[in-house]
Amino acid sequence: MRGSASQLRRAISLGLITGAVMLYLVAVGIVLAFSARNTITGVVTLGRLMLAAPPLAAGYVVARRGTDLAPRLVAGLLLGAVSGVIVAAALLFASAVDIRHILVRISPPLLAFLAFDQDASIGALLNLALAAALGLIGAVAAVVPSRVRRPAITGVIGVVVISMLEPFLRPRLTDFKLEGVSRFLFTHKGLSIASAIVVFAIFAVGSVAWPRVRARYRARVAAADPGTQATIRGVTLLLLIVFLLALPQIAGSFLSQVLVFVGLYTLLALGLNIVVGYAGLLDLGYVAFYAVGSYLTALLTSPISSLGVGLPFWVALPIVILGAAVTGLFIGAPVLRLRGDYLAIVTLGFGEIARLLFLSDALKPWFGGTQGILGVPPLFGVAKVSVPILGWQLTGPTLTYYPLLFFCVIAAIVATRLKYSRIGRAWNAMREDEDVAQATGVNVTNYKLLAFALGASVGCLGGAVFATHLASVFPGTFNILVSITVLSIIILGGMGSIPGVVVGALALIGLPELLREFAEFKLLVYGGVLVLMMLLRPEGLLPDRVRQQELHEADEEEEPGADGGALTPAEQG
Amino acid sequence: METHAIDPQAMMGDEGGARLLLEAHKVTKQFEGLTANRDIDFDIPRNAIVAIIGPNGAGKTTFFNQLTGIYAPTSGSISFDGVDITGMQPHEVAELGTARTYQNIRLFQNMTAIANVQVGRHVRMRGQWFHAIFGTPSIRREEEEVLQRARELLELVGLRRRTENELAKNLSYGDQRRLEVARALASDPKLLLLDEPTAGMNPGETRQMTDFIGRLRRELRLTILLIEHDMKVVMGVSERITVLDYGEKIAEGEPAEIRANPRVIEAYLGKQATA
Ligand SMILES: Nc1ncnc2c1ncn2[C@@H]1O[C@H](COP(=O)(O)OP(=O)(O)OP(=O)(O)O)[C@@H](O)[C@H]1O
Ligand SMILES: [Mg+2]
Repeated sequence: MRGSASQLRRAISLGLITGAVMLYLVAVGIVLAFSARNTITGVVTLGRLMLAAPPLAAGYVVARRGTDLAPRLVAGLLLGAVSGVIVAAALLFASAVDIRHILVRISPPLLAFLAFDQDASIGALLNLALAAALGLIGAVAAVVPSRVRRPAITGVIGVVVISMLEPFLRPRLTDFKLEGVSRFLFTHKGLSIASAIVVFAIFAVGSVAWPRVRARYRARVAAADPGTQATIRGVTLLLLIVFLLALPQIAGSFLSQVLVFVGLYTLLALGLNIVVGYAGLLDLGYVAFYAVGSYLTALLTSPISSLGVGLPFWVALPIVILGAAVTGLFIGAPVLRLRGDYLAIVTLGFGEIARLLFLSDALKPWFGGTQGILGVPPLFGVAKVSVPILGWQLTGPTLTYYPLLFFCVIAAIVATRLKYSRIGRAWNAMREDEDVAQATGVNVTNYKLLAFALGASVGCLGGAVFATHLASVFPGTFNILVSITVLSIIILGGMGSIPGVVVGALALIGLPELLREFAEFKLLVYGGVLVLMMLLRPEGLLPDRVRQQELHEADEEEEPGADGGALTPAEQG
Repeated sequence: METHAIDPQAMMGDEGGARLLLEAHKVTKQFEGLTANRDIDFDIPRNAIVAIIGPNGAGKTTFFNQLTGIYAPTSGSISFDGVDITGMQPHEVAELGTARTYQNIRLFQNMTAIANVQVGRHVRMRGQWFHAIFGTPSIRREEEEVLQRARELLELVGLRRRTENELAKNLSYGDQRRLEVARALASDPKLLLLDEPTAGMNPGETRQMTDFIGRLRRELRLTILLIEHDMKVVMGVSERITVLDYGEKIAEGEPAEIRANPRVIEAYLGKQATA
């Protein structure tokens, strides 16, 4: 009884917070900006979904605890209703009193949207009812077993993602002579009701089938003899490579541009991951290495740069890497004694110093000041490459994609090998407890410098490729937001995890590129994502799997070692 | 317990001629006004087990920290295995052949048990970053040997096989203590320094720990320095005891002498008896 009372109290307070979050989303204008995006045409827009997400999620959270069914559902309903009351009250207030001079985004179209194009009072009631229903649905999601919840959530995500991809999918489907599919899927910039159901079903079934297929596949592979296993692994790898190589052709030019950005940030994040994820050195000036990579490449390869030597890219590259590594040492050396917050602040300053140096008038003869350096030749020397037999014409992003992919793969291999070696373990030990690491024999000075130098070498590759992609470098590119974005990618994906880096880059770079409306709210979304991650899943989306959960639980009932010579565990305290 | 997997010869290092493994001469350590160690003369014979005891705040851990390079002495000198280590960095001292455990367990919490031991082996490994990046045969062989060795050490201290992939922070208190010992042993130290290894243990466990310490000396031919708070613990296991009080050495000798020493009784046992 007392448990359910406290659950209801919690529902009310969470409901108030949820309502506030909804009002905030409305007031900054993000909801209205996305209300032009149909998810299911005539039924729901992306803006509406954004507003629906908070009560849904909070309803789920509040109903997750508890044993009795009824109080949990009631808690969800109550939470939704409370948040709905807040939104309704705000709607009535904003309709009655003109507050536009304070909150500029509260425009008549926004109010109309919020009131479902009804009268304010009717709109308020609708909001209340809808929010309550959403809270309840969230609670239901918490109550049902995960074999129901998981497919349902995957299905909804599928519908949202496919509808978001409409502007890119539609022309691609036409290119591949699949107009029929395109016509079935999309009606006026969104899915139709029928196609939404189909998409939902495909994703839902997929989420159920995929783990089973994978488990069967793994079991088969495990049962096979070593020779067959090697063959299977080889074929899988080959398929993956073929897919990655063909990806720009499948994706088309615009999506390839997105992929290029994702690749660039993946590369940067792989490098920073060495410094932050492995060695635990919070470097907020990572953009410096990106800048050094770009500028050195431009200096060495552009015939009209101050050096004017015009080296081919692959000749210049070793010099660029060396230069970046040395920069890493220069930035690393003065901060060796700093820890935690102090390190972060000082490196932040170094990042800005790097940008200002490239921008400065004093160094203009070398770096060109605000004009930067122009005339960087394409990476392969020519702007267009045609692939024989396949008949591909590679140019712009579809060409830049390949060196980026190459460097990403190299960087991932390097990072993995370091991680599972003496070096990676020494870094981890340093991250965990610097003093003990040193007392155990790790030369922390050298290992810090090594982390900075290797991180810088990986990061500069991104800069090098990008200078050739844009055919120029400008100091404005290298601002602090790059450092923050790269760090956000690592945090979102999971510190120290390489697949996590890729997922983080796809989510934080890929998604905003796909949604033009995001541009204005990008930082808001990054901030929100980071806060949510810290609260809900601090280990990141795809964390390192360093142990098996079962093992952990099985070890609770510890018994003394079988042989008497060993120590037995002590009682705590 | 089977320990044949560990080769005692490998753990000994090259045996120097000198009888003393460690010599400290007039070591003084001051922390702004407070003298934590004053003019301490101290030595450890090879293959001995010696203990430092003293009441809370006597300066035992501070002395330890100077032997392992964590603090530089304010004055005085320390030599280990014929090398003057005064003012050396901790990792340099570790490389010479010392290894330690901590009074309050200090493991690498978010690393697995086996990785903790592997880090302990760090000083004896030769692989560099470029070896790792190119995955050379030499580093692969070394990594494999170290993994093997780490498993043997976990077994030696009595950690069962399936705990090897547990995060250190998820181990039980006793297992964490054992893991710390395994990590220390991984570097094939000549001198093992244990800071209150039985802290938080009941009498039965304490006995097992002291037996284990004796076995380590016999089977791995280690020299061991033990810090203890509780005098009774070290009576059986150590052949010589040094007593610190308020930062000064007030007595040194065999357990029986120490037990009978009136200064010790007054400064230490007396205090404990009235406590
Ligand atoms: N880093 C430091 N800075 C200042 N004072 C310190 C420092 N380390 C230790 N001290 C002081 O030096 C004295 C000796 O401390 P130490 O930790 O060596 O005692 P101990 O004999 O190990 O005691 P315990 O049995 O409680 O572990 C204490 O008064 C302590 O407060
Ligand atoms: Mg102490």
